[in-house]
Amino acid sequence: MKSRIGVVILVVLCSAALFLASCKKGEEKPAVSLQVVTTLFPLYDFARTIAGDKAHVTMLLPPGVEPHTFEPRPEDMIRISRAGLFIYTNKYMEPWAEKVVSGIDSRTLRVVNAGERVTYHAGVTEDEHGHDHTKSGEHDHHHDQKGMDPHIWLDFDNAALMVDTILDGFVAADPANGDVYRQNAETLKRRLVKLDLQYRKTLALCSTRTLLHGGHYTFGYLARRYNLDYHALSGISSDSEPSAERMASLVREIRSSGARYLFAEELLSPRLTETLANEAGVGVLMLHGAHNLSRDDMARNVTFFDLMDRNLEQLQKGLQCRTK
Amino acid sequence: MNLLEILSYGFIQRALLAGTLIALLCSVLGVFLVLRRLSLIGDGLAHVTFGSTAIALALKMYSAMSLLVSMPIVLLASIGILKLTEKGRLSGDAAIGLVSALGISAGIILASVGGGYNVDLLSYLFGNILSIRSEEVVIAALLCVGVLLLVTFYYHELFAISFSDELAKVSGVRTSYINAILVLLTALSVVLAMKLVGIMLISSLLIVPAAAALQLARGFKVCIILAALQGCSSVVIGIIISIMSNLPASATIVMVNLLFFTVSCVIRRIIHPKNSN
Repeated sequence: MKSRIGVVILVVLCSAALFLASCKKGEEKPAVSLQVVTTLFPLYDFARTIAGDKAHVTMLLPPGVEPHTFEPRPEDMIRISRAGLFIYTNKYMEPWAEKVVSGIDSRTLRVVNAGERVTYHAGVTEDEHGHDHTKSGEHDHHHDQKGMDPHIWLDFDNAALMVDTILDGFVAADPANGDVYRQNAETLKRRLVKLDLQYRKTLALCSTRTLLHGGHYTFGYLARRYNLDYHALSGISSDSEPSAERMASLVREIRSSGARYLFAEELLSPRLTETLANEAGVGVLMLHGAHNLSRDDMARNVTFFDLMDRNLEQLQKGLQCRTK
Repeated sequence: MNLLEILSYGFIQRALLAGTLIALLCSVLGVFLVLRRLSLIGDGLAHVTFGSTAIALALKMYSAMSLLVSMPIVLLASIGILKLTEKGRLSGDAAIGLVSALGISAGIILASVGGGYNVDLLSYLFGNILSIRSEEVVIAALLCVGVLLLVTFYYHELFAISFSDELAKVSGVRTSYINAILVLLTALSVVLAMKLVGIMLISSLLIVPAAAALQLARGFKVCIILAALQGCSSVVIGIIISIMSNLPASATIVMVNLLFFTVSCVIRRIIHPKNSN
């Protein structure tokens, strides 16, 4: 008899637990049907603009985390498996993305490689440019730093191509709201064109066209687009350590270029950049790579355009561009 | 590039100076740690520093300020390792493994619970020997003087506990006090040196010079001096090689250190062919 009461209690408790669990699930379910998971910040910002209020967009990377060192948590895997759309930048930026997706057993999940329409360029340190640099023939040590530069969104034409690819994903996943998505994407692309014009205008007349960066190769696409001569301390891989000779040669480049500022990348430790800037007697300015946001910026709801405006201000100051 | 020309750069001079000071510090402490079978304490405490840096960054304390959080935690962890070996019936390696696992997992959990950071954790965790600031050279020098003074002052006690804790206790040495001084000094050195030169370098500077000196030395004092000489010269030689052949400095220093160890083993075989087996 006692055991039977026990069983009854157990059954009641279990069903209560199940009921509560299902309630919780019900609460979690948002009003919109399409769930979108993005990896990096530019994709998140583009996707949430395209989505408007028709889809729910989340970003996988926690604030401040380097995309190369990211590892998804179990909750992230659940989030991806419940999503209708998973958007990543490219295989160079998030080498883990394809692996993560292949581990997910979902028939409804659509995977978008946002950078598939973009033409990639190799990231090079300045020794490989082979132009008028006096020491370029002396050493041939930088060949190991070749590799495709994944920071494609810093060229705003590429950003527009990414918007197109993301839009295709949205329309395929949720054709009913296709017109809304198309309209939002169109507005977004117009803003990108405007941003590009603003960059062109501001960076047209500068005292120096040499963009010196005391960190890993990040701003290659930006420099290429606005005809700047980009010199980074080290290659694309964020685990390579610069040699003493490369540090000394960058100091010489700073001195010979007559630049007044050396750029550092936000979110990363500015130690090496500060060492080099002190050595060369120049100031340090920050540029944002926009892969990710700091926790504070995330809380303030900063957008891709805010970051790019911030970058332009820093560039204008660093390269001493005249405003008209 | 011309060696003399590159030596005129401030960052190279600071690397040579601070590197030598830290090598001196680490190799002297290393002799006691290796004999005391606490060789991996450097790695273990580095993992604890990872955890404590996660806390510091979550509290928005960067670079120098983060030491205010890291320092007490790592000092506590070093005492924890010691207590585990004394009271917890654990050997040194198991105690270090335990504390280091705690440090790294706490760091990882904090990193994901804290809702992210304003900066990238790993880039703030490790220093690079080529990015040392002038004031940090002074800190390294002060630490070096402090450690050398304490080692001279407690030389006999440290000597006694390095070979047998029980014997030292019987002969009236306050072993837990001396052990605590040794691990606290190590903790202090690890936290500061990690910020300056990175974990790879500090761990190898603690172990390799001591291991090489123990191959050759007959006396304890000679052993400490040999270790110190080897540690310092491998930093200088390593930096010079890294300049001439365009290699990353820290890894080159580690390799030079290991080369010294190999040479010491060979010399030992030649000098005492019967002892070596």
